[in-house]
Amino acid sequence: MRRRTEDSVETPIASLIDVVFLLIIFFVVTASVEKDIVDDTIKLAQAKHAKAVETKQDNTITINLHDDGSMNIACHPVSKRQLKQLLKAAVAKSGNTTPVLIRGDAETLFREIDGVMEDIGSVGLYRVKIAAEVTH
Amino acid sequence: MPLLKKRTSEQVVQVPMSSMIDVVFLLLIYFIVTHKDELSEAHLAVNLPTPGAAASDRKPQFLEIEVRPNEVYLQGARLPLDTVRQKLNVVAQYDPEQTVMIKTSLQARARELVSVLDMCKEAGLENLNVLTLED
Repeated sequence: MRRRTEDSVETPIASLIDVVFLLIIFFVVTASVEKDIVDDTIKLAQAKHAKAVETKQDNTITINLHDDGSMNIACHPVSKRQLKQLLKAAVAKSGNTTPVLIRGDAETLFREIDGVMEDIGSVGLYRVKIAAEVTH
Repeated sequence: MPLLKKRTSEQVVQVPMSSMIDVVFLLLIYFIVTHKDELSEAHLAVNLPTPGAAASDRKPQFLEIEVRPNEVYLQGARLPLDTVRQKLNVVAQYDPEQTVMIKTSLQARARELVSVLDMCKEAGLENLNVLTLED
């Protein structure tokens, strides 16, 4: 009786390993995707000559700015007041050298970008970058 | 003879189908994952106007670009984008450290600002300041 069950267990080792590998890959992928959530609904302005970034500094604050002026950080909508608080918290946590990236939609009015830049400047941050899509 | 040969090779191929599918799936997943990482984004660094800087009475040689909706002014003259690009290249040849003031109208679109920033980067100018154009 005992022997028989052992025999039947021994058989599907190879496929078990396959499944385990797939699970590992799945978890690795979901973990790394969560780290930088990209707002795909934004159509960035195109830059023909700028170089694509390879690595982004870990503590970069990314502000997504839609063409209607609404903002979100990592897909969480934020109001102007919340943004200011977040920026203040970031300054308190990692100093005023924290880089800020503005991912503005191509059709966003400069009025909106200017508003965000004013907020960034008012809390003492100065390393501002504007994201663009690289087209070669 | 060729007919016989074909038969044996077909028989050999038939055996490891399921493991091959596994491998193919793994490859597929690998490529999907690595592809997502290749988001080609450029991050154009700009300087913010420091409070009080405008009040200084020093008159440094700034290169002034005005970005208005659908038009670009270089040192006060409205110019087509290609001319602006050429002039920026000339400026960058003399002095790559040249400070550029990009005054942007509130009605201008992000696309227009980015195209000007991109032109400056192309010319090799790195000292870019974005200001608001009061109009």
